[in-house]
Amino acid sequence: MTGGMTARAALLPLLLIAAAMLGLAWGQITVGPAALWHGAVSGEGMGAAMLSTFRGPRVATALGAGAALGIAGGLFQTLFRNPLASPDILGFDSGAALAVVAATAFGLIAPMSLVAAAGGLASAALVGVASYRRGHATPPLTMILVGLGIGFMTSALATFLMTLLPSNEAGEAQRWMTGSLAARSWDHVARIWIPGALLAAALLVRIRLLGALELGSDLAAGLGVGVAAARRGFVAAGVLLAALAVAVAGPVPFVALMSAPLGARLTGARGLVGRMLAAAGAGALILTLSDTIARSALTGTELPAGVLTGLLGAPYLLWRLSREMEGGGL
Amino acid sequence: MKAVLGAALALLLVTAASLALGVRPIGPSDYLDMMLAFDPTNADHVALATVRLPRVLGAIIAGGALGVAGAVLQGITRNPLADPGLLGINAGAAFALLAGGALLGDLDQTRVAMLTFPGAALAALTVFGLAGGLRGDTGPMRLTLAGAALNALLLSLVTGAVLLRRESLDMMRFWVAGSLAPAGSRPLAEMALAAAAGAILALAIAPRIEALSFGHALARGLGIRPGRTQGMALAAVALTTGAAVAVAGPIAFLGLMVPPLARRLVGHRLRMELVTAFLLGGATLLLCDTLGRLVLAPAEVRVGVMTAVIGGPVFIWIARGLRPGAQA
Amino acid sequence: MTLRARGLALGYGGRRIIEGLDLDLGEAPMTAILGPNGCGKSTLLRALGRLMAPEAGRVTLDGEDIRRLDTKALARRMAILPQSPVAPEGISVGDLVRRGRLPWRGMLSPWRAEDQRACAEAMAAVELSELAGLPLDELSGGQRQRAWIALVLAQATPLLLLDEPTTFLDLSHQLDLLGLLRARGRERGLTVVSVLHDLNLAARFCDVLVLLGPRGLVARGEPSEVLTPAHLAAAFGLSAEVHPDPVTGAPMVIPR
Repeated sequence: MTGGMTARAALLPLLLIAAAMLGLAWGQITVGPAALWHGAVSGEGMGAAMLSTFRGPRVATALGAGAALGIAGGLFQTLFRNPLASPDILGFDSGAALAVVAATAFGLIAPMSLVAAAGGLASAALVGVASYRRGHATPPLTMILVGLGIGFMTSALATFLMTLLPSNEAGEAQRWMTGSLAARSWDHVARIWIPGALLAAALLVRIRLLGALELGSDLAAGLGVGVAAARRGFVAAGVLLAALAVAVAGPVPFVALMSAPLGARLTGARGLVGRMLAAAGAGALILTLSDTIARSALTGTELPAGVLTGLLGAPYLLWRLSREMEGGGL
Repeated sequence: MKAVLGAALALLLVTAASLALGVRPIGPSDYLDMMLAFDPTNADHVALATVRLPRVLGAIIAGGALGVAGAVLQGITRNPLADPGLLGINAGAAFALLAGGALLGDLDQTRVAMLTFPGAALAALTVFGLAGGLRGDTGPMRLTLAGAALNALLLSLVTGAVLLRRESLDMMRFWVAGSLAPAGSRPLAEMALAAAAGAILALAIAPRIEALSFGHALARGLGIRPGRTQGMALAAVALTTGAAVAVAGPIAFLGLMVPPLARRLVGHRLRMELVTAFLLGGATLLLCDTLGRLVLAPAEVRVGVMTAVIGGPVFIWIARGLRPGAQA
Repeated sequence: MTLRARGLALGYGGRRIIEGLDLDLGEAPMTAILGPNGCGKSTLLRALGRLMAPEAGRVTLDGEDIRRLDTKALARRMAILPQSPVAPEGISVGDLVRRGRLPWRGMLSPWRAEDQRACAEAMAAVELSELAGLPLDELSGGQRQRAWIALVLAQATPLLLLDEPTTFLDLSHQLDLLGLLRARGRERGLTVVSVLHDLNLAARFCDVLVLLGPRGLVARGEPSEVLTPAHLAAAFGLSAEVHPDPVTGAPMVIPR
């Protein structure tokens, strides 16, 4: 039993390494492991260029953004005790994206991560306020519906703002709105990894509170948790993680939704910390693989990662829906 | 009856306003002039005949069709959040249009436009089936999420396809937000016929849809075959939605907003509701389009964005009132 | 340990359920709150456990207003188990029980021997020690309910509030659970206040009964004082006889 468990725990890290290697090696131009190794050691040749300039930062950004989305999704799903609660379904991603598009359209000079964070937090607050009714507990399903509505609205607005952009920028914006990792630099890597790691560490410190909230707000209150404040704190952390990812990778659909269940399935993790780590790993895996395949599979055309996560995620959402229906959850 | 007349009056008023208001101020005399003595060299006459008049007609056709589609959908799903846009039926029609356009080339506008009907029908059947509609129990949650998933799937396909062919980005822009600006170049007459056919079908089966709302068992007891009624209702939805998409592109939220308003006016009588929804749908879309032309003039806000901005809060308002799985 | 309500008014969104209630609890080891559906039993328990704010009046624990107390400090003195809680998917019994130690742990403090002892002891008390590694989903309904009880026992508070802990249990498990709580009261001075709906079980196991009716408090006191035909008529609109239970001698309600 323990042997099986260790083998299973090693599976996700191994898959991640394989995905990162694939991402570095495969593309419109394929660079073999030998050339990559030579480049890494000598700092010369095609391998070095791929590692330092082209694919290295791209893969590192994908890993970081995927992990951030994975944690954000796992966090919301735990907090609201609903497998459909994730920042993309709840409309937080599209809020962050709207803020970025608006900042671009109106020529606002500000770090995109901050702009995205502000947009994500604003739409989260909007969802919270719009689904609140005095004297009634807000059921997660109501919040999900309201979030979907706000997502529809913010996407429509972002689409409109895109039409105001000059034609060449509009094409880029369209690509980004789909969720794209094209032309990432080490700057993007730093922008996702540094604040992302800080947020993840903060989350780890407070993970016991999440464990209590997961038992329901009444029980958590009985265990001495200040439920409202703790909830706000976790929602903010989740929104920030998602917004950081959106700022470097665009609103890639469904990564956050799929990560935690996939991670739990791959690792068999049951504890909260294990589940969050598994969600981070699965998110990184999904995004890195999606990006690599989307840009490499078709000769002559690089598709954005979001096209592939959309194609994967929509059937997953439908499958999840049918499972929830059978379980009587909907 | 008074309410129906009121809705008709509203449509007339909005039509008059829309014809009169614009970047170029045009009065009723100009229209009269144009109709009695059309002068192809007169720039005003040409603009009216090829741009503004088709646009108004397009708005009435598309808006009315979407109002009817929304009312039928909300009737058969018993779900106040049902809307052809949110359920992905618009996206299905638009996807068929785009795919057909890409495959067949710019063969023939009208023939390509006809592809919206099979597209809408397939999408309607898919989303309805996935949400458990065939068994007769579609919760608002299921239907909305199934629609969101279908929308996302089709959007990914379209984005992928469009990015493969960079030049079709403009088509994509048309696809993502509905617009009435190109209404003059759309097959308005054919689509008006299709929308009318859908509306008549809906009117014909309205009593059966009402019976179905008591649940399948009771409907069977009343001598109604649920599967057949659902099939015809979806056909009506496909005809109306397909026509609307062919005229104006995918427009969300209109089919959501209009039927509740119609119900408030005429009560829960589906036939009256359908007539009122047609009139109010046309008036609302025309109003949105006119506002969209005016708010940022000379720039234009697409009508699809306007309906989303107005309809989004309505959606949220309805959603927060529903308490799926609520515990007191 | 005394839990007092003074002038308590409770309601949801303007609808008052309980008005001007005075109540003293906690002198006896086992107290049951009884009453018909919708009379506010659970609402009262939630207010006593500071899960909802009263619209008027206050609840005090040893003289201090519970809404002024630090919530974590309060969680070391009073535990509350809501009705039919929902567990995270796949969680094991041991992990669930461990979460009851939250109020005793600092933000970064490690798992201490004391925590381990409390959990082991709580699981032993409900006879689940053998099943600690199993996922909760694989347990029977009775075992699952006992796992939740173990969670609040691991919280190691002198006062325990339970909302219908015997729902979904078959009769023998109901007897076991109430017996267990009673024994815990005798041996370790645990005070239990519990919403129950079975009048006869409450009379058999509890020292004090609080009977609520549609118009607030009907009676409070020993089972034999509370369960009288007149009180039952006032609370439930029920015409009943009360006879001594042939086994235990506790009052037994027999509806006519």
